Formats: sequence, structure tokens, C-alpha cells
Amino acid sequence: MTMASKADTLVADYLKRLNMELRGLPRARRRELLEEISEHIAEARAGLEADDEAGVRTLLDRLGDPADIAAEARERFGVRERAGVRDVVALVLLLVGGVVLPVIGWVIGVVLLWISEAWSTRDKLIGTLVVPGGLLVPLGLGLVSGESAGCIEISSGGPGPRTARTCDAGGGGIEPLELALVILLVLAPLVTTVYLAARLRRRQVPAAA
Amino acid sequence: MVTSEGTIYPLLSRLRRDGLVESSWQESSSGPPRRYYRLTDAGRAALEGFKLEWRRFRDAVDHFVERTA
Repeated sequence: MTMASKADTLVADYLKRLNMELRGLPRARRRELLEEISEHIAEARAGLEADDEAGVRTLLDRLGDPADIAAEARERFGVRERAGVRDVVALVLLLVGGVVLPVIGWVIGVVLLWISEAWSTRDKLIGTLVVPGGLLVPLGLGLVSGESAGCIEISSGGPGPRTARTCDAGGGGIEPLELALVILLVLAPLVTTVYLAARLRRRQVPAAA
Repeated sequence: MVTSEGTIYPLLSRLRRDGLVESSWQESSSGPPRRYYRLTDAGRAALEGFKLEWRRFRDAVDHFVERTA
């Protein structure tokens, strides 16, 4: 491609806006629409001079506001109820699945998350990585630290059975740092769940306006 | 009915997914190849069904309007 004309820039900007507006649609639908509208523009521009800015502006006006096209698309590809239930199950399993059915419950949640069309890849990564295992990790950690609160176990490492145990005075207090970590590990998956649920709801609201 | 030309594409995409239309490429003498849409058999059947429904609806409304007029 030679120097990008003003007309090229207008088209590129239009497609960029359309791509943004189509966020939340299933990836394949989004790609399909972008392709077809790009084709439409290329076809219409074949009858224009390459740098016919006015012609391109008219063409894009006739195509319509990307927001309108996206609204139409959301209506056409409205979320089906069946998918909605599965998505909610995914969210629940991601959070507490690992606790109810250790590890496996969470893994099923991850699978449901990734086969869903309701979330973007970015959302799915967040759902998977914050925090793997959901509440299983902080719960497990909480139990362990609860048992050996304030104690440091020193294993002699040798063949001998002796382990030394040093405890804080009182022996019951949890280290503030440890407590902060557990709280963080409890909050993080909760925040993720709320975030994913919000994204889900945004998608399920049909394009009323 | 169509507010802007672009909104036809989500509709076409939906019809294609439902198997009511299919598209094919054909060379164009005046530019890049064009995509042509045509009704499938299922699409034609759906159209006939819709026409039938529409006539029934239209007749019902006509009947009602003529009686009250």
C-alpha cells in the first residue's frame, strides 16, 4: 500500500470503531461482520477515486453508525437462555467448585468458562488466573495456618525423627502478613466472580436502545 | 425499514447461520470479487411460510377494518 490517503484513514477509523462496538459478540460473529462490511466498503470504493474523501464519507454515512450495526447484531445474536444457565454454573464452580469437589470442581468451571461465548479471551484469562482453584487456596491456607498458627516447624533434614517446633508467645496469633495474604486470596476470586458476572449481565441485556 | 445499509449484515449473517441463505463469490468486472447471497431451499420454504402467515394476518386485519368502517 502506498501513502494512506485521508479516505483510507476514514475507512480504517470506521472499521476500528465498528470492531470496538462489536465487543461482547461471539468472536466468530464479530469477525464475520467485520469482513463483510470491509468487503462492502472495498466494493463500493472500487467505483470511486482512491482519494475521494467526500465519496468515502457518503459511503460510510450510508453504511450507518457502527453503534447501530452493533445494536442490530446484538439483537440478532441475542444470548440464549441455555447458554446463560451454563455460564452461571461456570461462575459458581470457579469460585467454590474446588472446595466442594477438590480441584476437579474448579477444573470443570474452567472448561465451562472457556467453551462459553459470553466472555472475551481476556475475561477468560482473568477468570482462570485469578485465582486458580477459587476459594480452595485461601481456605486450604487458612486451615493450615490455623493449625500451626504462629509456629515455625524446623525439620532437621537428617534421618532422625526429631523436628523442632518454635512457637510465638501464646502460640495462637496469625502473622499479620499471613492474614493479609489470606484476605487477599479470598477477595481476589470474589472480585473476579463479580467482574465476570457483570460482563455476563452486560451481554445479556438485549440492545433495547 | 433498514435504517442504515450496514445493519443488513447482522441480519444476513443470522440468516446464513440458520441455513436460510447461502453466499458465493463471483468475479466482478468493476472491482474486487463480490459476494452474492441467495436463498437456500429451506430459505425459500421459510419465505413461503411467511407469505402465508402474512396473508392470513392481512386478511384478518382487512376483515376487521372493513367491518368497523
